Amino acid sequence: MNVQKRLHRIFPFLLFLLLTMFPGSAWAVQSHGAPEGLYVHQFAHIFYTAALCYLFWGIRHAVFKSKGWRYLQIFCFFMILWNVVAFTGHALDALAGSVTFSSDTGYLGTRILGPFTSLKFWYYFTKLDHLFSIPALFFLYLGMKTLYRNTMEEKEV
Amino acid sequence: MTSLPMLPAILVDMAGSFIIIVLSFLSLRYAWLLIRRQPENFLWGFLFYFCLTLGCFSVSRALGHLLKQILLIFGYTEQWHVLAPYTGGFNTLLMTSLAAVTIYYHKGIEGYQAIQKKADSLRIANEQLEVSADKLLKLNENLEKIVENRTQKLSESEKKFRNFFTNSKDMVYFCDATTRIGTMNPAGFEMLGYSMQQAPQLGLQDIFYNPEDLEKYTEALTTMGFVQDLEVEFVRAEGTVIYVLLSATAIFDENQKFSGCEGIAKDLTRVRTMMKQLASSEKMASVGQMAAGVAHEVNTPLGVILGYAQLMMDDFSPESEEGQNLEVIERQAKACRKIVADLLKFSRQSESARENILLNEILEDVLAVTEHSLNMDHIKVSRDFDEDLPIIVGDPEKLRQVFVNLVNNARHAMEEQGGGKLFLSCHYEKERDQVTATIRDTGHGIPKKVMAQIFDPFFTTKSVGKGTGLGLSVSYGIIKEHGGVIEVESPVQTADGELKGTALHVKLPVPPLESAIVIKDNHREP
Repeated sequence: MNVQKRLHRIFPFLLFLLLTMFPGSAWAVQSHGAPEGLYVHQFAHIFYTAALCYLFWGIRHAVFKSKGWRYLQIFCFFMILWNVVAFTGHALDALAGSVTFSSDTGYLGTRILGPFTSLKFWYYFTKLDHLFSIPALFFLYLGMKTLYRNTMEEKEV
Repeated sequence: MTSLPMLPAILVDMAGSFIIIVLSFLSLRYAWLLIRRQPENFLWGFLFYFCLTLGCFSVSRALGHLLKQILLIFGYTEQWHVLAPYTGGFNTLLMTSLAAVTIYYHKGIEGYQAIQKKADSLRIANEQLEVSADKLLKLNENLEKIVENRTQKLSESEKKFRNFFTNSKDMVYFCDATTRIGTMNPAGFEMLGYSMQQAPQLGLQDIFYNPEDLEKYTEALTTMGFVQDLEVEFVRAEGTVIYVLLSATAIFDENQKFSGCEGIAKDLTRVRTMMKQLASSEKMASVGQMAAGVAHEVNTPLGVILGYAQLMMDDFSPESEEGQNLEVIERQAKACRKIVADLLKFSRQSESARENILLNEILEDVLAVTEHSLNMDHIKVSRDFDEDLPIIVGDPEKLRQVFVNLVNNARHAMEEQGGGKLFLSCHYEKERDQVTATIRDTGHGIPKKVMAQIFDPFFTTKSVGKGTGLGLSVSYGIIKEHGGVIEVESPVQTADGELKGTALHVKLPVPPLESAIVIKDNHREP
């Protein structure tokens, strides 16, 4: 409990610290370059991942032990994986200069040209991030449905 | 492998985006149903907002991806580059919001758990309160039932004993330490002739005839704690004495101090009278038997003496000394024969006629004969005869003799005091089907000590020469012969409450109608 409270308290401070570690030009009105959007997006992924971890941990330590809540935990797990994949994907996008494509037959015929490195494979893999987000959403759906049915059964009892 | 096609990734992206939109809406639907079902549940509220934000994010992202793929497929690469920062920025915004909503989950949970805990403790307290209230209610109901049952039993018991107390034919009483009667049942008041209002003034000393009996009673109670079957005499309010069988128990307080007594008294006067009558009857029967034997034995030589005396009287002139002596013998022999005849009447050995009789007429006949001598002795006669008396069957001569004897006895009882009143009454008692003739005088009465002897032959209180002592014996025998009884009451309570004189009640049975015929058959009883 104390740890949670502390994290809660220091989180804004850490965020502030992170943002101020790389101040750039110290002008009164800071100009925002193109990479800034990417950074913010990546921060959002980190923030979201942290929030999911927190939710996972919260469910685990809470008194709710029904099946619906377990599905929600699985949702958290897959969503965390998706965040990692997405984060990696965005990072690899930044490095996409080393990945060469051929689109002679149109967009749908786009191919990654060799020679293949692990970076290229990871790049390709991160483009399949729905393989994590769909199971995550599926378990969220199952969780909500189960919780709803539980309340129906409670009502009947 | 020289190249890797991106088509699978494109297809997965498009299909995945579509599926994610569908799943997001399905999740949001259930979250909405949950919040509709239990609006007060914080958790469902959280899940609803979580799903809503996630749905927005997913839809935004999926639509962005679909748009991207469509634009790129159709060669609108430039347009996509324009739109991409917007969709990316929007996605970032929604993802941050989603993270924020998730973070605040914990605080909500804490609050919810705290409320839940309070609610649970309240619920438990409420349940315990309900259980306690239920127990209390049951206890209260039981208590009421127990009290009701006890009260009913007590009431039944009280009623039972109250009935016993009230309806008892014997006297039931409660006394305090000073022998004052506190409570007594109606039978007790009736037995003693007092009214209920006199109860507070009534003490045992007022009802015990002999003070020695009361002393004995009190001593037994204080020493032994009870009195059992004590035969004592009580005096009634009007002064008559009754015989009672008394049983009582002492009451002691917590200091073992005598605080009163409770007792039952049974009136034995009637039983005692009956026993006396029975004893008297047996005695008279034996005396009669003896008298009859003596009379028979004396009668024969007496007849011989009288016969020879009369024969010899023929041989001597009446003026001669022998003739005069024989007359004396004859006179005395006749006197003896009369006594013998009376003895035979007493023992019911004499002849009897049986005729229909009206007792009023017999009494009138007797008064006609005796009234002169009664007047001479200043005795006033009072008659009280029922007009419609039934006919009885008997020997009129003998009954006249009975009533002459009784009237003469009354006259003798009053002549010493120079007169008095003679009451003659005759009534029909329908309940017992008998005619009762009462001869009551205002004379000196019969002393208690001779009461049991008055019907004995030759018993008399008169001076020598005034009576043979056979009058009542003969009367007793004649009435017995007629199936009746003679009862003696002495002293008698007069109308003004004075105890004076003697009353003799002659009670004769009324025969059944079929036997009440005019008959004149003489017969001798065996």
